[in-house]
Amino acid sequence: MTAQDTAPLRRRGLIAPHTFEDVFDVPGSIRAMAVLRIVLAPVVVVHLWPFLVDTLDGVSYLDHFNEPWFTFLPQAPAGAQVALIWTGVAGAVAMGLGWHTRLAAPLTTVCVAGNFFLSQRHFRHNRAFLIFLLVAVALSDSGRILSLDARRRRSDGVGPPDDRATLWPLWLLRIMASSVYLASGISKLIDPDWAGGLVLWDRAVRHQHLVATRVPEPIAGWVVDLVTQRWVHAVTSPLAVAMEVCIGVGLWFGRTRIAAVWVAVLFHLSIELSASVEVFSLAAVAALAIWATPSTRDRRVVVSDDAMAGRIRRLDWLARFDVRVDPGAAAEPHGVEVHDRDGSTLHGREALQMVRSRLPLTFFIVAPRNRWR
Amino acid sequence: MEGTGTIVRTRWRARLVRAFFVAVLLAQSVLILRSYDDPHNFFGFQPFNESSTWRADIVRVTADGSRIPIDEPWPSDGDRYDWNDLVGWRVVQHPERTKHAYSGLDASLDFLDEALDWVADHTPDDTETRYLEADVTGFRNTRGPDERVLRSDEREEAR
Repeated sequence: MTAQDTAPLRRRGLIAPHTFEDVFDVPGSIRAMAVLRIVLAPVVVVHLWPFLVDTLDGVSYLDHFNEPWFTFLPQAPAGAQVALIWTGVAGAVAMGLGWHTRLAAPLTTVCVAGNFFLSQRHFRHNRAFLIFLLVAVALSDSGRILSLDARRRRSDGVGPPDDRATLWPLWLLRIMASSVYLASGISKLIDPDWAGGLVLWDRAVRHQHLVATRVPEPIAGWVVDLVTQRWVHAVTSPLAVAMEVCIGVGLWFGRTRIAAVWVAVLFHLSIELSASVEVFSLAAVAALAIWATPSTRDRRVVVSDDAMAGRIRRLDWLARFDVRVDPGAAAEPHGVEVHDRDGSTLHGREALQMVRSRLPLTFFIVAPRNRWR
Repeated sequence: MEGTGTIVRTRWRARLVRAFFVAVLLAQSVLILRSYDDPHNFFGFQPFNESSTWRADIVRVTADGSRIPIDEPWPSDGDRYDWNDLVGWRVVQHPERTKHAYSGLDASLDFLDEALDWVADHTPDDTETRYLEADVTGFRNTRGPDERVLRSDEREEAR
């Protein structure tokens, strides 16, 4: 395989390859997939943990009510589930470390999917989404960077790691991920009970006793009074639907992508606080990394001191910036200057905001103040 | 990385990758559309779709026509059979209590129907029960009641 830089992307309009062939033939950075791979490792372990505990107690899916997905196939024996669970956990650890990633990631995917398809009881929408993510990571060559594989290649004298590889798994995952937001949003939009607020209101009324377990008094009483009001849900339900649809569409356009990612983080935080969705929130927020432009260090940051450069490098998990130290930058307000990928230069506070808005840990706080640019 | 600018694959591999890509997208589209006709909305990504509730009175109907609630003694050689232990899943445990319909009313009742069959098929020491029957009362998004009778398969052991 040979590769070169990703073709220039249209920054403000639709973010898509120029042709169908470009999906497969134009390489780019798979760093986002590597970050996703690392986050998915603990997610998979947490997901499999209850099953693993059951295997330690000698309990398998066959010991209780189960419903096969495919009735024409014989049911897998209990030992097969034990093997899937334990191999899946070991595979996830190896996948997270990037140790024999080309084997570990597909193996983990097969184990998680295999356990999932043992019984319809194992179905959850969030688990199906997790399998999408795992399949995409398994298909991508994410072990090229941020992995023990990359470290081993470097120590073997192969040279510095190259993070460019085929991007079709990334494009596939982008389509799948946005389709999940759209499917969820549209199904609620066309359901008058949902869009009109009845579903959320009734849910809030019946689960109001849970507020006291999550919110201290006297605020709990005030919260219960508020969330059991019918009109509140007549307002918030259409907003929730609009959020999902806007995320699913907005992620595809340069002009709205940053806002869509921010809304998606807010959306998943609100779900995590109000519902039990297992590992979905962490997996879904991590998956937002795939919307970063698949090129690395194509913005240059010039800072005045090593300490600031070190902080940016440590937090720049998606390698957005080529960080350079120039004592002359001390003359700049805030001691920072950014040369953006479109050739423009940002100074002072604006430059600092740009940097912070592209670092995953500070993105959510800073992005709104950066006017979504 | 040095190279010619594009990823080079053999012809068959290039076709395979493209075919896989298109097949996955087609499958995803079909699954999402099909989910509207599926009580479980499998792979339709319609979480929190309803705020429905249900409860059920489940009885064992014996060969002589008696209707015995499942919380009364259940014949077995070893440990006493217990509905909640047998199903081992909160979605269909404690059917006598009004509970949230997991994944919607149709999905919950479909699982209850399958659970009746499973329990009927996994209580070999019970030689008196012909079938299990559930009188279900459901409320779909506060509307109802929606009353149904679900019945397990007939059991060979009681014939």
